[in-house]
Amino acid sequence: MLVFAYLRKKLFTKNKSMKKNLSEWLDNKQHLAFVIIIPTVILLIAFAYYPAVQSLRFSFLKYNIKQLSRVRFYGLKNYRNVLSDPVFLSSVLRVSYFMAIATTTVLLISLGISMVLNEKFPGRSILRAVIIIPWAIPPVVNGQLWKWIFNGDYGALNGLLFQLGIIHEYQFWLRQPFIALNFAVFLFVWRYTPFITILFLGVLQSIPEQLYEAAKVDGAGAFMRFYHITIASLRRIGGIAVILTLIASFSVFDGIYALTGFDEATKTPMIYNYEVTFDMGRFGKGSAMAYLVGLFLILLTFIYIRMSFKKEAE
Amino acid sequence: MRKPVSLKIFLAVMVLLIFFWSVAPPLWIAISSISTRTELYSKPPHWIPHHPTLDAYKNVLIKGEGFRGGGGISAARLFRKGILNSIIISVITTALVMSFAPLLGYAFSRLQFKGHEFFFYLIIGIIALPGWPVLIGLFSEFSTLGMLDTKTGLILLSFTFRLPFETWFMKGYFEAIPAEVEDAARIDGCTYIQALFRVSLQMVMPGLIAVSIISFLSTWNMFAAPLVLTYTLKSKPLTVTMTEFIGQYFVNWDLMSAATIIAIIPPVVIVIFFQKYIIRGLSAGAIK
Repeated sequence: MLVFAYLRKKLFTKNKSMKKNLSEWLDNKQHLAFVIIIPTVILLIAFAYYPAVQSLRFSFLKYNIKQLSRVRFYGLKNYRNVLSDPVFLSSVLRVSYFMAIATTTVLLISLGISMVLNEKFPGRSILRAVIIIPWAIPPVVNGQLWKWIFNGDYGALNGLLFQLGIIHEYQFWLRQPFIALNFAVFLFVWRYTPFITILFLGVLQSIPEQLYEAAKVDGAGAFMRFYHITIASLRRIGGIAVILTLIASFSVFDGIYALTGFDEATKTPMIYNYEVTFDMGRFGKGSAMAYLVGLFLILLTFIYIRMSFKKEAE
Repeated sequence: MRKPVSLKIFLAVMVLLIFFWSVAPPLWIAISSISTRTELYSKPPHWIPHHPTLDAYKNVLIKGEGFRGGGGISAARLFRKGILNSIIISVITTALVMSFAPLLGYAFSRLQFKGHEFFFYLIIGIIALPGWPVLIGLFSEFSTLGMLDTKTGLILLSFTFRLPFETWFMKGYFEAIPAEVEDAARIDGCTYIQALFRVSLQMVMPGLIAVSIISFLSTWNMFAAPLVLTYTLKSKPLTVTMTEFIGQYFVNWDLMSAATIIAIIPPVVIVIFFQKYIIRGLSAGAIK
């Protein structure tokens, strides 16, 4: 018994001193930082950088997961195939249209909504919560929600236009390519506007009201005040908003997938990339496409990160 | 500044328009979800249902009639498993983000160490990584590791891709509070870790809440990654199981509407209660 008690005491004190040593070792900026950062870095390499390198490798292989025995080196052929694929090229044109319309519309509507929200009126804080709803619901659910509204047989849009006398019979909107594409743009605009609105509102609320009053005293009209104060203060955030909206509208996948699936009319590179890779199983071509498309996104994202940091430094 | 009446009327009209723009679509789904099938499929639509019913909800949550998906899975099973998976994945991801993001933010804002810049850009660089190259590689990596179709895989993935944003935000929040409070704690004999947990953490708490809410929402809303990485009810989240209500030729819009309402309840409740935090979190992301 005595031996046991002795051992326990010994072990206990040893343990305690170990614990103390550990906490002393940790109380050093370098050690502590490494203990915090190393697990994260391992995770990021394992689940982000490594897979990205893997698919870069795939992009140089003839690799179809439905024909695994025929995997072989393919050089730059995948890239050449993607760049000469008429479906891919037309999807690039389509997404250019998508981005142009979406970005312009999102920015204009956000500007309007944020200016209204910047005024004082009863229920302002409720409205501020309500406008975030479109952004907060899952994009894929958003797609299904609108698919029901645009429905050709019983949709609310048809019902509304019919009752207002604008159309005389129900239309299958999503079967008309150009309309379907524009509805897909609309879906994105509805979802993304709240985010940009919040960014704008943050800036508008930091403009002191005295500035407007002073300009008024100096004889500046409503338009001059809007242009020289409101627009001028939104310039920097506006640049960030443009880049963010371009990135987001280029990357739309969920909403289109739910609204029209692989339909030719709304096939953007993101949708086509999924179809080629996971529907057809062509991992080699899919990876090459992912990298071509990805380079463009990386470029935009770097501009965004640089712009944000610049703002921070100022 | 007093406003003229015409401006007030204009403002009121705009406010109503904005309100309508934001809530009308979900509201229409809510109305559809309590309509009977006959009313749902009527021309022109019944804007206000004459015989409201909860049948669609009963069907989607309990009975599962009127729908057989691939493999004869009933709507209710599809839906209930989806909700459960979504809750598990989002809660665990958020918990992980909540425990790691403050530590990382603290390390990059307060601790001077070798490789500070290098590691920061290594982590932030993830933001610039586009989705498909990673997902294609990840699909093959997961299939080698046996992690395809597991909730663990999805949790690790969403955690990995939230972390760079949240580290960036938390670094900003830490930089906004004065370092002197920690110095004072150090003089009182606290270690760095103690100073962080006893003093600074409380001060960045609003930021941490904002970051956690955004993480929860984005994990709950995630779709493309689980679409690629899961294929059975074992791990499919709600967003993926819901797309399966759409058959090739026919959509059960009554089930769909009820399912949609249930799927958007968590985000909508969060938005209403945590509006301020969300606004803060979103603006912090774009402009530091």
